[in-house]
Amino acid sequence: MRKALLILILLVQFSFAQNKQILYNFTSIPQSSLVNPGADVSYKYYFGIPLLSGVSVNTGSSSFSAYDLFANNGVDFNDKVRNIINKSSANDKTQVNEQLEIFSGGFRVGGRESQSYISFGVYQEFDFLMYFPKDLAILAVDGNQNYIGKSFNLGDLNVRAEVLSVFHVGFHKKLSKKLVLGGRAKIYSSGANATSTRNSGYIYTGPGTGINMYTQMVESNLELKTSGIAKFTKDEYEGSVASDMAHNTFFNGSLGLGFDAGVTYNIKDNLQLTASILDVGFIRQSKDVETRRYKGNYIYNGVNPIFDSTDKPGNIFDDFEDAIPEEKLYQKYTTWRPVKFNSSIQYSFGESRYDGDCNCKGSDEKRYLNGVGAQLFLMTMPNEPYVALTAFYKRSIFEKLDVKGTYTFDPYSNTNVGLGVSGTIGKFNIYALVDNIFEYKDVSKANSAAFQFGFNFIFQNSKE
Amino acid sequence: MKSNFINRISIILFSTVLFLSCSSELDFDQVDDFKIEPVLVANLAFFNLRANQIPDDGQAHQIPPDVEEFDVFRNKYLNEDLVKAELNFEIENTMNRGFKVELALIDANDQILETIHLDVPAYTGGSNIIKYPAEVYEGDRLALLKKTMKVGFTVTVEAGTGNISGNLKLKSGAIAYMRFE
Repeated sequence: MRKALLILILLVQFSFAQNKQILYNFTSIPQSSLVNPGADVSYKYYFGIPLLSGVSVNTGSSSFSAYDLFANNGVDFNDKVRNIINKSSANDKTQVNEQLEIFSGGFRVGGRESQSYISFGVYQEFDFLMYFPKDLAILAVDGNQNYIGKSFNLGDLNVRAEVLSVFHVGFHKKLSKKLVLGGRAKIYSSGANATSTRNSGYIYTGPGTGINMYTQMVESNLELKTSGIAKFTKDEYEGSVASDMAHNTFFNGSLGLGFDAGVTYNIKDNLQLTASILDVGFIRQSKDVETRRYKGNYIYNGVNPIFDSTDKPGNIFDDFEDAIPEEKLYQKYTTWRPVKFNSSIQYSFGESRYDGDCNCKGSDEKRYLNGVGAQLFLMTMPNEPYVALTAFYKRSIFEKLDVKGTYTFDPYSNTNVGLGVSGTIGKFNIYALVDNIFEYKDVSKANSAAFQFGFNFIFQNSKE
Repeated sequence: MKSNFINRISIILFSTVLFLSCSSELDFDQVDDFKIEPVLVANLAFFNLRANQIPDDGQAHQIPPDVEEFDVFRNKYLNEDLVKAELNFEIENTMNRGFKVELALIDANDQILETIHLDVPAYTGGSNIIKYPAEVYEGDRLALLKKTMKVGFTVTVEAGTGNISGNLKLKSGAIAYMRFE
């Protein structure tokens, strides 16, 4: 129990967000078409270095940092835990999103003048979302003695996790100077899923009603659905969880379908609007499915002798298990991917003086050195959507070196400054994006931190 | 040239931010100190003995005892992580007789581990609610308590005069001091 609580708290610490505000519309990086399939990305062809073309790890926690818990400052560890519980609310969330591109590539279709592009790839993704189970944490740490009259909400238990691989093919086309449209089809293969997001019920201890010292009730409507996990929990399982799960993720997962769509619209030469919607899709969880359900209600009175020969002795544990039995079900179920929405508006200024290599977007196009604008990110969640707002500044330092700075308001931080750089040496493209850079001066105090990097080979049309 | 210089500086600055991050000293061994000590309260037992359950002949009588299952210590956590317990009893007597109430803690072999005695004075008008001092279980006494599988209730009515009416009501609760480490 102690370990479970600690793991739970640590998970909150290592929480990750899915907002990729630096990558979004950073069109010199081919991977930006993963966050907007309608991004104005152009290439003759490109491919990512396998396993190294897109690695992203983000961390964030809305209520505390590693420093709050592990600082070597003489404060008792248990007091720190209690402070964190007091500071956190049931709306504090834990998000984990890790993505690793296995391979990716793209090529232009049609002739030399064509502006149609195909991109494809496979990436592995880990998704985790949990809300802080505040009421249950209080009950575990304090007990119910000082909470007579309070209902501890079992609905605070709200968690989902998934390991999956995504096979995708995208297409985007620059229809005119003003408009780029794109879409991406995805096949999901889920190696493991755990979903427990529709819980309700309470544990209540109130003053007695006259016959009894207390009024004690449990109403439980708890459900944990799993897919691809049950076999690992069996005693007779003898294998490597990591390699079995990896195998399931790529070759034997529960399958699903989804799509992304996006658009770039140039209102004027120097004013651009973009939007994308990602992961509109579902997974039919069908492999090794197991649902555990605890449903029922129980009123606890203690033992009650009635001094009557017909009195049948009761049995507290059996009563409880009868009232709230564990049911195991083996039905397939459907999960929906968290849908993400991105949008941006950008104003560009400072025409480029470079007249060297063209980047093959068409020679009659103006190229601006600077861009400023705003971005909006939304993501669906079990309770309320995740919203983040970003202001950004982009600059081309050289022809093939671009930087982007961002300032983001999100549930984790109001001072999230990010920096990204993408440079191309010959055909070799390197990019690195770092979120929350000011937190790096003492990373242990960071409520969130993120980085992403990758290596690609990008081939443009050679000069005439 | 000037703009190139500025560009180079900004690249250097940017790289610096990327690669020079620091961290305060953290002590992860503190996890070993982690313990939680919740205090739980729960009903223990209650009854309502009515006058018509007592032979009304003026003599002292023992009401047929009642033995109830009490298997909470089958629970691993209650058995291993309970460090102290308190049992509280409250009796309201509205009968014009005194009582002796006995709770016997009985183990799996039907051996009595301990008997708790509660004396109840007769009702003489006004309020007759008696709150007994808490029975505190620590150390050896607690170890004995954890063997309890059944509780036997014995009620003895004392001799007295006059028709019996009213009730003898018992309420009781437990305070469990847990420690998980």
